[in-house]
Amino acid sequence: MALLEVTDLGKNFGGLRAVSGLSFSLEADEILGLIGPNGAGKTTAFNLMAGFIPPSSGEVRLAGRNITGLKPHAIVKLGVARTFQVVKPFRKLSVLENVTLAAFLHCRRRDEAMAEARRILALLDLTDKAEGAASDLTLAQQKRLEIARCLATRPKILFLDEPMGGLNATEVEAACDLVLRLRRDGIAVILVEHHMQAIMRISDRVLVLHHGVPIADGRPEAVVRNPEVIRAYLGEGKT
Amino acid sequence: MPRFTLPALLAAALIAAPLLSTHSFVHHLLIMVLFSTLLGLSWNLLGGFAGQVSFGHSAFLGLGAYSTLLLYLKLGLSPWFGLLAGGAVAMAVAVPIGLICFRLRGPYFSLATLAVAEIIRLVALNWDDLTAGPQGLIITHLPATSILGQTVNWESKLPFYYLIAVLALLGMGLTHLVARSRLGAYLLAVREDLESAEAVGIDTVRTRVLALALSALLVGLAGGFYGLYFRYIDPDAVFSVALSVEMVFIAVVGGIATTAGPIVGAIVLVGISETFRTQFQSGHLIFYGLFMMLVIRYLPDGIWGRVRLALKQARER
Repeated sequence: MALLEVTDLGKNFGGLRAVSGLSFSLEADEILGLIGPNGAGKTTAFNLMAGFIPPSSGEVRLAGRNITGLKPHAIVKLGVARTFQVVKPFRKLSVLENVTLAAFLHCRRRDEAMAEARRILALLDLTDKAEGAASDLTLAQQKRLEIARCLATRPKILFLDEPMGGLNATEVEAACDLVLRLRRDGIAVILVEHHMQAIMRISDRVLVLHHGVPIADGRPEAVVRNPEVIRAYLGEGKT
Repeated sequence: MPRFTLPALLAAALIAAPLLSTHSFVHHLLIMVLFSTLLGLSWNLLGGFAGQVSFGHSAFLGLGAYSTLLLYLKLGLSPWFGLLAGGAVAMAVAVPIGLICFRLRGPYFSLATLAVAEIIRLVALNWDDLTAGPQGLIITHLPATSILGQTVNWESKLPFYYLIAVLALLGMGLTHLVARSRLGAYLLAVREDLESAEAVGIDTVRTRVLALALSALLVGLAGGFYGLYFRYIDPDAVFSVALSVEMVFIAVVGGIATTAGPIVGAIVLVGISETFRTQFQSGHLIFYGLFMMLVIRYLPDGIWGRVRLALKQARER
């Protein structure tokens, strides 16, 4: 059985079909790249799967259990964590407090939660920033902080919404290594990303959305040669 | 400094304070400061820690006051228990209100609290059979009570002083516990960003309802005290918007999301009110507003929040 199974997921905003007929499955040790032109419905798909928006149709199953329509916090408890495209740290709290808060999900006591948070911050190279305010971090560090917060909830699946957006080449490299390391630690990852080199390097599989509809699903090398995908990115008449 | 030094000093100061003067007006001022502290502590739990700004907290104060007095007048329940029942009633009413209103965010929640308080005031004003409407409720005397073999003299202000001192300490203890607990951390997360809070597994509706319930409990107890101390309540007095705004003032001026801030806010509030009330009748309200604007502009962390920051910086240096 696949870890995550999405069947015919759809969402209409009034007359606009933001996502429709989205079906795919994700294995426990997989990295899935979710790509598509701007407005293709990638973030909406994340919001649907993570419970931030109720879907208009379809079903999401986690390890066989139907999680469609559950509240975000309930889905997090079951092991699905997400980051935000525009980072949303708890700005006035310290970096350590940000992660400690998330660690409270599995640790009742403050000292346990803090120890767990420190361990995760070390993993993400944020230890020397721990006492500072989250708002003082660079963008790359804030993106890592969001991942740290996710890890503290002990996820089985991580949804990363543009983890490399706005990062420089070195930072992108580090982010790629981080995603690969997460997978080695047993976390499945779905990432929305526009950085194609990164996607090609780390994804086991790539799923392409266009106008809310999946148009290709397969190995990265195969997907980028798919004529329909090229048309979606470059427009009609350019192929 | 050992853990219990500060609370012990505070308790000693509270016990000793009224003994420094035999003047009953001084006792009245001390009572008003502690009463206001309790109001500020209550508002602070919800508005300061969880960032859910309520403009209708007098609703819960009034519920506490009416419950206490009605249970005594109609059923003869001792005010001691009535006071606790007042807190419980306020809390019980707060939970469904929270479940409904916390679907709303930010300013919409604040407007809803204003509306709820107004609805409850109108009910109290018109439900003549229960509340006697605009006439209000009066108690002419309190039942004889004795503590440790001493009969309590309800005509003196001292027993009221010690009663409100115990309640204020209870409020501070509760705030202190919440601030250090997981709930306290969750409240801050809810204040900072609702979506991020959900994303780390926090049930943001439940967390906010819990904060509202604890807040209503404290202000409900304060309401019960109000009824017993003034011995007269009417809907326009206990359900007033002015009272709700005073609670905001105490918490904001003192310092939001702090344990000791409301004491500072309460001293300032009572100070302003007593200084200007005699000359200007209700003109003191203008000075509340003016003072609150100055604090928000120049001391956004409040007076105690600023002091605490300075202490922290001095320690680090």
